[in-house]
Amino acid sequence: MGLVPRTGRAVRGVLLAVVLACAATACSAAGRPVDLATVSSVDRPQPVGVEVNPATTTGAATQVPPCDPTASLRPANNLPQPGNMPAGSTMRAILDRGRLIAGVDQNTFLFGFRNPTSNALEGFDIDRVRDVAAAIFGDPNKVQYKVITSAERIDALKNGEVDIVVRTMTATCGRWVDINFSATYYVAGQRVLVDRASQITGIDQLGGKRVCATKGSTSIARLRQSPAPPEIVAVDNWSDCLVMLQQAQVAAVSTDDTILAGMVAQDPNVKMVGPRFTEEPYGIGIPKQYEDMVRFVNGVLERSITNGSWVTSYNKWLAQAGERAAPPVGKYRD
Amino acid sequence: MVTAAPQRQAGPSALGRVTRSATTTPGRLSVLAVALLLLTAITGIVAAVTAQAKRDTLSDLVAHREPLATAAQQIFRSLSDADATAASAFLSGGVEPATLRTRYEFDISQAGTALGKASSDVGGDPLAAAQVEVLSQQLPVYSGLIETARANNRQGYPAGAAYLREASGLMRSKLLPAAEQLYEINYDRLQREQESARSVPWAPIALLALLLAALVATQRYLTHKTNRLLNIGLLAATAAVVITLIWGVTAMLVLSSHVGDAERNGAQQVDVLVQARINSLKCRADETLTLVARGDGPGYEQEWQQLAATITGDGGANLLRQAKDLASSDAMAGEVQLAVQNAEEWAAAHRKIRELDDGGQYEEAVKVAIGDAPDSAAAAFGKLDKNLITALNAGRDEFFTQTTKAGNALTGLVPGIAVLAVIAAAGITLGIRERLREYR
Repeated sequence: MGLVPRTGRAVRGVLLAVVLACAATACSAAGRPVDLATVSSVDRPQPVGVEVNPATTTGAATQVPPCDPTASLRPANNLPQPGNMPAGSTMRAILDRGRLIAGVDQNTFLFGFRNPTSNALEGFDIDRVRDVAAAIFGDPNKVQYKVITSAERIDALKNGEVDIVVRTMTATCGRWVDINFSATYYVAGQRVLVDRASQITGIDQLGGKRVCATKGSTSIARLRQSPAPPEIVAVDNWSDCLVMLQQAQVAAVSTDDTILAGMVAQDPNVKMVGPRFTEEPYGIGIPKQYEDMVRFVNGVLERSITNGSWVTSYNKWLAQAGERAAPPVGKYRD
Repeated sequence: MVTAAPQRQAGPSALGRVTRSATTTPGRLSVLAVALLLLTAITGIVAAVTAQAKRDTLSDLVAHREPLATAAQQIFRSLSDADATAASAFLSGGVEPATLRTRYEFDISQAGTALGKASSDVGGDPLAAAQVEVLSQQLPVYSGLIETARANNRQGYPAGAAYLREASGLMRSKLLPAAEQLYEINYDRLQREQESARSVPWAPIALLALLLAALVATQRYLTHKTNRLLNIGLLAATAAVVITLIWGVTAMLVLSSHVGDAERNGAQQVDVLVQARINSLKCRADETLTLVARGDGPGYEQEWQQLAATITGDGGANLLRQAKDLASSDAMAGEVQLAVQNAEEWAAAHRKIRELDDGGQYEEAVKVAIGDAPDSAAAAFGKLDKNLITALNAGRDEFFTQTTKAGNALTGLVPGIAVLAVIAAAGITLGIRERLREYR
């Protein structure tokens, strides 16, 4: 116990010495350490061609006559034999060329995508193209695929770059002004895809959030009309949306459930939420002037439904476990 | 403080003393001697420092400037090749061939190493520092995206293609422009330094001329005053100054001629070849990416058309033909001629690819683009790249040889100037002291 005061004095002495030493040297110096590598913001990679809140496309949307977009032209009773198209017909011109030129997608899993293993294009849309090629040539492989973005579909048909477009394309009255559609070959509906951990449960909660969709799609138009308008991130391809969702650069992706299902199949960490809030009848796009081709393609679709190839293709790509395929019924305006 | 005032009054000031002594001939001689010695010392120091600076500039050219310009060029080359290789690997389908994987890995490490070297020398140039910053920040991001693309590809998911597109977009919008700019900055610095090595050193030449004139004038003055024709000391000093002048000017002429050769046959030649190589690499990436995009990439083919004009055809824009005109040796001209031929072969293969692809034969087009047949685009591009590397290395050798020769022209000049200055000073001192003695 008697040691305590002495120890205390010793400690005080040491402290005093330290304070004095500090005062004499740099302990009291003002200023800060030099930072040579400050990074204030991170430049995140983005898909090529991404735009935030792009201006709405004008043009055909000005005066659209009311119509039933699902009603196409009635096919003839019998399809011509493959390799023997009627003279002067559009199909004859394609037959003589030796290949069908089809505008498709290579980035939408399950519909039109490039199989990275085989380098071949595959999917439900690609099967439709192959049905048409088989009906013209007797050989489903006589196709030249041209990959186009959502925004390029109408122009590709109007400029005659492609014979048909099979690319998850919704038949709308606005588009009917510029091109023809086949009968509906599939009906999808728009939904919302979010991260598995996200609190979002539907489109009404997307207000002000960054939501991804492709340029020129009906999905992007629908998002704009939403009562709680989101900040729209427009990209060229649907898979770019998955990339941006995986990189946490957008809060959600909103488009047809079929396309979203393809994303869920690629990444178990995303989920679809909310009900379908639109109906998207998919049709095959055909140039406006070739009505014989429209009737021919509708005949091919009807046959694929009756001979079971539609169902086989559906089961291969789109069917959920235990689900029964329900092929659409053709609707015609004659 | 009190004593200061009387001290100032005590004697005449130093200036006063000099002015007064200059009124007498011996006084004037002393002042002359001091002035001449001072001028000699200044001239000697300025000449030696200038000669040393030239030597330093020349060795810096060989040791730093040129290697750094090359490093910057290597960054561009490696990155661009990585981009094209990643696209080729993707096109080949399934798990990429080991050769392409190795090539990609090599490109990325090469780019990293070259970037490390290039970044060691950006101090003071904010523009170069900005480019290096972009490169160092984005290179890891790029390789991360490529690996994500691979992981998705291996599982058969098309998201892999989307990651590849994003990576390639990053490469083309940020990394490659930064690398190209870094090369241009470094090449500019190289050119500026070559100009400074070649520049005429007016200061020491003017000083030497002034000193020579002063010595001649002094001797005429002495002859006039003393009726003696020759003064050995001053004559020796004059000789030393003349030798310095002749030696210095000759060394400068030889140096200039070698640096000029290094500029023409080395640096300029290399720059033209580098531009050709940069464009050929861009073309190769465009070619493969057109096929990856499968119709959805008209921009790539347009760029190919534009850039192909700079490496093929008879137009004046053909960089390879320009390089051939600049070639200083037959070996170089022969190598560049091979490059010209291989570029034409490649252009032919490219036309075939476009024909096949536009005609609906996509698989065949891919085969011509990345296959290993002797007439494939991959083979022609590989040969062209090899020609360009050989020619580039020859150009670099020429630069090194000529710049080293320019440096050799200065051998012994610095100590020589020192010795000659001492001789001149001794001559002046002895010469004028001899005359001064006659007044005692």
